[in-house]
Amino acid sequence: MEPLEQKFERRDFGWLFAMSILFFGLVAAGLWQEYKTAWRPYQERFRLVLAQQGQLRQARSFSVGIQQIWIPDLGVVDRCVTCHLGYDYMGVLPADLAQPLTPHPLPALIHHHGFNRFGCTPCHGGQGWATETTAAHDPGDSWNDPMLTPRLAASYQMTVGELLQMRCNFCHRQEQTTPGMDAINLAKQLYQTKKCAVCHMVDGRGGHSAPELTYEGDVNPELLDFSHLKGPHTLFNWEYQHFIAASALLPTTAMPDYGMTPPQARAMTLLMLSWKHLTYPPQYIPAPPPNHSP
Amino acid sequence: MNRRLQAWWRKGLWAWNPASERESAEAIVRNLWLHWFPAKVSQRSMSWSYSLWLGTAAACLLTILTVTGVMLMFFYTPSIERAYGSIKDLQYAVSFGRLLRNQHRWAAEGMVAIVFLHMARVFFTAAYRGPRALNWLIGVILLLATLLLSFTGYLLPWDQLAFWAITVGTSIASQAPIVGPTIRYLLLGGHLVGQQTLLRFYVLHVFFLPALIWILFAYHMWRVRKDGGLAVLESGRAARLMQPKAMPASKSYSLFGLTPGTSVAVMSSMGLEESEQVPASPTLTRRIALVFLVVFNLTLALALLFDAPLQTIANPAVTPNPAKAPWYFVWLQELVASTTVRLGDFTLSGGLLGGVLVPVILLALLVAWPFLDRSSRACEGLWFAKERARQNLTFLAISLAIAALIFIGVFLRGPYWHLYWLTTPRPTMPRVL
Amino acid sequence: MDSHRRQLLRWFGKGSVVAAFLAQIGAAARAFLPNVLYEPPTSFKLDSPTDYPQGYTFDSEHRLFVIRQADRFHVISAICTHLGCTVQWRGTEFDCPCHGSRFRPDGSVIGGPAPRPLPWFEVSLSPDGLLEVDSAQTVPAGSSLKLPAKA
Repeated sequence: MEPLEQKFERRDFGWLFAMSILFFGLVAAGLWQEYKTAWRPYQERFRLVLAQQGQLRQARSFSVGIQQIWIPDLGVVDRCVTCHLGYDYMGVLPADLAQPLTPHPLPALIHHHGFNRFGCTPCHGGQGWATETTAAHDPGDSWNDPMLTPRLAASYQMTVGELLQMRCNFCHRQEQTTPGMDAINLAKQLYQTKKCAVCHMVDGRGGHSAPELTYEGDVNPELLDFSHLKGPHTLFNWEYQHFIAASALLPTTAMPDYGMTPPQARAMTLLMLSWKHLTYPPQYIPAPPPNHSP
Repeated sequence: MNRRLQAWWRKGLWAWNPASERESAEAIVRNLWLHWFPAKVSQRSMSWSYSLWLGTAAACLLTILTVTGVMLMFFYTPSIERAYGSIKDLQYAVSFGRLLRNQHRWAAEGMVAIVFLHMARVFFTAAYRGPRALNWLIGVILLLATLLLSFTGYLLPWDQLAFWAITVGTSIASQAPIVGPTIRYLLLGGHLVGQQTLLRFYVLHVFFLPALIWILFAYHMWRVRKDGGLAVLESGRAARLMQPKAMPASKSYSLFGLTPGTSVAVMSSMGLEESEQVPASPTLTRRIALVFLVVFNLTLALALLFDAPLQTIANPAVTPNPAKAPWYFVWLQELVASTTVRLGDFTLSGGLLGGVLVPVILLALLVAWPFLDRSSRACEGLWFAKERARQNLTFLAISLAIAALIFIGVFLRGPYWHLYWLTTPRPTMPRVL
Repeated sequence: MDSHRRQLLRWFGKGSVVAAFLAQIGAAARAFLPNVLYEPPTSFKLDSPTDYPQGYTFDSEHRLFVIRQADRFHVISAICTHLGCTVQWRGTEFDCPCHGSRFRPDGSVIGGPAPRPLPWFEVSLSPDGLLEVDSAQTVPAGSSLKLPAKA
């Protein structure tokens, strides 16, 4: 080799070697990252649990991998069940099995809302597409349908069961009362007794002197006046304050101060937030009771 | 067995590891991949500090983008109902999908930056003079194609970031006088950003623009060969004395038979001293492999560490606050936002001034500059030649101004386009829950 | 650096690149094997066994027959093994309307172009007491699920 060639070979060799090793290391890191998923250890633990609990056929036929509930009618792709593997084993696996393997705690509810028809996210919110914990439960800016967690509910002085009723009403909106939806039932009753329809229009019925509420849950929070609101600037708080004392929120409002108790105001807020532009295929809308008068 | 394996190995890969200078030259002629290199390159072309190998880095990024892009095509669906879900699937359900998408995104951002830096290098070294002016023009088209590729790709995830960035970008384009609205109508396939827009941008992004860029890239490389290599070879050309060489001995034929004598000797300053040259295979190929590995490692490392952004699904009814163009266009958005001039009843739209006039003028300057440059040819191939100080400073000033506007647009603009310093907390926007 | 060590490093470096490159090819190939399928699941639950009458019940959604004989259950696929049409139960045999294949009550072929008997799917009792079918698992003809005696 000519001396000039040798000079280049000598100088480049070291760097080429270093970059080659780095290349190898980065590709290995990529393979490791792909293998080291959050869900794999849960699935392996679940297989053991199945065997321990005597579900031998299930344990044998269990295959490790991403699971999903796909409901094309609703556009639901729920991969929650990749980690929450015990969901369908109500009454079979112990109810106190540690999360994420815990069976669903409400078998009576599930009897009417089977997993293969509803999935998980229509009731619980959250990002069904995700196979990582944070992305699924608390996706932040990348998903606008937050999961209704106990912590979120507690921040509004509610239980998860109460907060979830907001989503129940997405389908059960046209019913006057629904078993299991105590807060929403109360709110619908209050809507009648407080005669909100005198001023507000909902579903084509009501007055014109106040804003229409048919899709109140879709209001853009950025357009609201929060200047008199204490606490976090959320649509929930804004609505809630309306039912406690509307004039404290908007001094020029014509809405009287109803002086509702906090549970009543919370129930009404859940009702307001449940009224959104949502369309479901007809088989998901519960039939009205026989003597339903619109 | 081992010897047979070695012989087979040698037969396949001799061109990449030539054992002699003759083999090296033959490799260029006989190997498909190597045929576009010259048999030898000047050692000055190999300099890191001259070109920073930015053009090579851009080509490496183009390769990475093409390969990752073709793979992504198997998983992405260009329909407004399915696009977002297909990206989510890539992120969570496709093996190595996250890495694939991330590497594509970071390589794309890197390519816009590297292509600009490459252009800056060519400018500062006056490597666009003389016959290289044509290659400079091809380079400008390549720059525009790169920006368009990035812009069309930006829409494909169909999230809020994509939808509104393209809304802002195409609105800026519509400010062009007379043809603006038609350009927007053609780009969008209608009046609104919708399915037609997504499909057009997709076809442009996966077929027409890559085809354009690869064909022009090949032409760009061909022009480098035709122009006599990198411009660094031009500098000091005058200093190289034309010295008569010893006449090479040879035979010639005369009426009296074979006589010894001399043959035609070509004397030219274009001819480079052999002592300054190295064979392209393996010296140049090794260097390119090194640049490729550096670039690939960088994009892979970024892909491992940082996820490509993805916001909520596109919602035409809700504008994010603020809505920003992609970073390489956000300087235009800054100009548009701040150059509206009101004189009494008359308003000159910032969209026209900042969004159309300024980039058109800058583009016109870029295109015309090789023909307006009056500095002497001795500056070619030299970094920051003194004679070119004014034009270099102007270019630098404009580049820094654009960079500053990009910095402001990306980092200092918050809700309602108000200015916030880096450490000032942004107001938390109201949420539903 | 002496040339032997250099040679070793060279091979090590090239080996790393080749190995990493092959790993990348492997990863790309793996990416094309879907981890999730947008298809109906192959394992699914039917109704409670007490809901099924004696004899042959056609399930059009899942394209299979649930056959009950006293307290024993088995499931036969209704997908013709010729070219995939849905066969019909005629009381004494299965007939395929597309190309005339005929099958005995146990799924074996009487005549026609069908090359194989109708497969029997694995049927079991789910933890919540419903019939559960795994259409990805075939079992030998003759096997059946016996309902546990009521406690």
